[in-house]
Amino acid sequence: MEFIFYFGDVFTPVSFALLLVGTIGGLILGATPGLSPTMAVALLIPFTFQLEAAQGLILLGAAYTSTVAGGAVSAILLKIPGAPANIATTLDGHTMAQKGQGAKALQLSFLSSAVGGIFGVLLLIFLTPVLAQWALAFGPSHLFWLAILGVTVIGSLDSRSVVKGLLSGCIGLWLATIGFDDIMGAQRFIFHPSLGGGINIIAALIGLFAIPQVITMFARGRRNDAAEVIKVEKHPIGGAIRELFRNNRAMGIGTVTGSIIGLIPGVGGQIAGLVAYDQSKKFSPQRDKFGTGHPEGLVAAESANNAMVGPSLVPLLTLSIPGSPTAAVLLGGLLIHGIFPGTDLFDNHPDVAWTFINSMLIGQILMCIFGLYVAGLAARIAMVPQSVMAAVVLGLAVFGSYSVQSSMGDVYVMASLGVMMYFLERFGFSAAPLVLGLILGPIAESNFIQGSMIANATDGMAPYFLGGGLNIFLIAVVIASILYSGYLELRSRRYTSKEEIMA
Amino acid sequence: MSDLTLPRLQHIIGSGTVAAVGIWVTYVSYTQQPSEAFLFPRLIATVFVVLAAWTFFKACMGWTKVGNGISVAQMTNLAPGLVVAMVYIFWMAKGLGFYTATTIAFFVLLSLYDPAPHRALQSWLKRIIITACFIAVMYGLFALLLKVFTPREIMF
Amino acid sequence: MKKLLAGAAMALMGLTTTASADGHANYPERPIMMMVSYGAGGATDFQARIVTMTAGNEDALGMPIAILNKPGAGGRVGWNWLASQAEADGYTLGAYNIPHFIAQSIKGGVEYSADSFEPIANWGADPAVLVVGKDSDFNTLQDVVDFATANPGKLTTSGAGLFVGHHIAALQMEKAGGMKLAYIPTKGGGAAAMKAVIAGEVMAGINNLSDAFRAREAGNVKILAVADLERNEFLPDVPTMMESGLDVDNSSVNFRGVMVPKGTPQGIIDKLAETVPTMFENSRVAGKMKAGGSPMHIMTRDEVLAMWAAREETLKELLAGL
Repeated sequence: MEFIFYFGDVFTPVSFALLLVGTIGGLILGATPGLSPTMAVALLIPFTFQLEAAQGLILLGAAYTSTVAGGAVSAILLKIPGAPANIATTLDGHTMAQKGQGAKALQLSFLSSAVGGIFGVLLLIFLTPVLAQWALAFGPSHLFWLAILGVTVIGSLDSRSVVKGLLSGCIGLWLATIGFDDIMGAQRFIFHPSLGGGINIIAALIGLFAIPQVITMFARGRRNDAAEVIKVEKHPIGGAIRELFRNNRAMGIGTVTGSIIGLIPGVGGQIAGLVAYDQSKKFSPQRDKFGTGHPEGLVAAESANNAMVGPSLVPLLTLSIPGSPTAAVLLGGLLIHGIFPGTDLFDNHPDVAWTFINSMLIGQILMCIFGLYVAGLAARIAMVPQSVMAAVVLGLAVFGSYSVQSSMGDVYVMASLGVMMYFLERFGFSAAPLVLGLILGPIAESNFIQGSMIANATDGMAPYFLGGGLNIFLIAVVIASILYSGYLELRSRRYTSKEEIMA
Repeated sequence: MSDLTLPRLQHIIGSGTVAAVGIWVTYVSYTQQPSEAFLFPRLIATVFVVLAAWTFFKACMGWTKVGNGISVAQMTNLAPGLVVAMVYIFWMAKGLGFYTATTIAFFVLLSLYDPAPHRALQSWLKRIIITACFIAVMYGLFALLLKVFTPREIMF
Repeated sequence: MKKLLAGAAMALMGLTTTASADGHANYPERPIMMMVSYGAGGATDFQARIVTMTAGNEDALGMPIAILNKPGAGGRVGWNWLASQAEADGYTLGAYNIPHFIAQSIKGGVEYSADSFEPIANWGADPAVLVVGKDSDFNTLQDVVDFATANPGKLTTSGAGLFVGHHIAALQMEKAGGMKLAYIPTKGGGAAAMKAVIAGEVMAGINNLSDAFRAREAGNVKILAVADLERNEFLPDVPTMMESGLDVDNSSVNFRGVMVPKGTPQGIIDKLAETVPTMFENSRVAGKMKAGGSPMHIMTRDEVLAMWAAREETLKELLAGL
């Protein structure tokens, strides 16, 4: 309960001003395509040089929470996920915006972000010591099985054909191997100099989601279709809150999944949203509506990717191990002031530690308020004529993918992947499983190689990868996930064939 | 065996390309050295090529259910935009500098796809204003706020 | 009219040639970019951001330096880019890590070597240290050596990658002690390697002194030895490997500094070589580096050139048998 004593520190004029700057700035940066939360926080580090430790961290903490939420804005309105965390948001969020329910989608996304986010930070406050042990429990073998668990999701994610979903996933897994392999340093599949650094995930995300959409708009041609202009429905905030509580199952699944996955170093926020989305789809009686602008999917994805913010900092704050790239950048923000995370932080600088954590708590609420305030206005983007929209998204995609690493190569990769994805989508492939493969490939590979090296030096492959409670548990979950997907697939097939007979 | 319709032909071409990529990937993974570094690619490539072959087979037999292909009208609609976008990304952006290239590409795309009549002066004015606003926002966001140094050849 | 135009063109050409001939007196005219071949938040990135923070001051370069991260494959991605794709116009700098890039270039498969770059100045030297988990049975370097000698290839030892400083230290230990370690390269740099030690996934680890120092402060690890010629001021109680009887010199010490791609105009190199070391000596920089637990070691261009040449020789010898 120590944190309550430090709440006052957040509300001093300077601190609160910084909190506001961090939150609003974070929302804008997060909504900019190509700027992941990690980059946004790294951009703000120089400003903290001039500030006191606690104040600097208020700025960074607020920016971290709100960039994660801000990513949902471009995911919903433009179908450009700002970071891997927002992929699942595009699936239902953008479809809602296309139906004119952009305001509702944004409101729901900010509300569920806040609920998930606050839960995550509370976990960080109350359960840090327990969680730290849990975070350390995941070794290479467990991370490998976790990645495989992610792979089992591929077939059922946003694709009407399991084979094509799996094939999309394979393409993604292969794309991830392009470049230098991380452990041996060997070059793989570098058939063009732009690929020398491998495929940057942010640039790939922009290409795979934004470009097909631009081309689809081109394909509609030059038409004067006043009738098709989307009416943006106004949506009362009260209604959004009620809607959120109607979707409490999705919110619960999202929050819990996000918190658990966010805790695991190295896997973290990248897949939290997608796994939560898939889980709530499996548990939902209305699972057929997922992907067609169903609020449940949006709520699950957004509550998960903000719930991971708090727990993802547990390994950093307690053990001084940054569990995610963003945590690594925050570590820099602490070190610059001579503060070492770990016991030193909580014993000798409790004011810094708790002010930082409190600022994330209050940052979540401020973020939600601002978000709700602008949601109605931002949703009007859907009214922009598609000729303008196509050109705007194209320009943003080019600038966004360039700014990731100031590299023309990333822009070429973005465009090539995008054009390829447009044609693949026309033939029944889909982007979400491909991206999941792109994310999971490196996790599975490096942990498998590392694990097998440890295994060969110690007790051998089978006991290392198959032994131990956590391994067995994860394998059981993998098998259950496959069986359940198969069961659902068979059942839906039987239904469709019955319908066909009836027809 | 039904007729060789356009979507079916497209499906054959599409899945054929994927299968060809799969075969290439498999070939490369099994021939390149060091073999430790290609262990994982081999695993992926094997699954990849099996799935791709199955999809190709289904497309040839005309069993494909998912995916609508691209109609002739859609192709003629998207071709000019796609060409402009590719010229913009692969040549103009680097050759002319980001802002100049974006201005040109944006304006051309707008003129191609904006339904407002090409004969009226008013619609041209509107396009110029929209382009100017967009470039101003992009410049403010990326050059001034984020300080990204984009390639600059002509002008800013 | 034609004459006038021709005259104007001549004048213009004259102007441009004089501007480029006079030794880049106005350099730098716009912000400079520095490529770091490790991810944001890593030790190299963190230090690079600190040492360049005063670049915009009038007494330094007068223009800010922006950090650009190009992580991947133990630094190969970034250095390849710097050697083959970056423009050698003085506005693209790179951070180097010795012995990493020299060892990688000796091992092959990359497009750079020590000759692809021109050093400017060195800012830091971060020795490799041997760490074990806080509950480990090993208490001295001798315990580790005894175990490794009795169980060849069984001592799992984590490090940040292949052919980086940590790996070089492991190779030197193997050579000096006549033993075989199971070196486990981790993806994700020193932080991931340290996590493997703390979580008990591996029995020992080789890591950066700065990161190990912090982990020890947090009470998570024991530091058994430093792979350097003398004890470090951050860890006066930890012996060097030589003191403990293992003949390991300072070849694995991670020197960090600034370089430019080959082909950068000599005038610019001279100007940078003159200004950058003084920029590192700034008291604010030194204060922040000390606060972060990062050992500084400032060297001028000539000293760095000599150090690169010496390292290349030792590394060639060490890696010859592999």
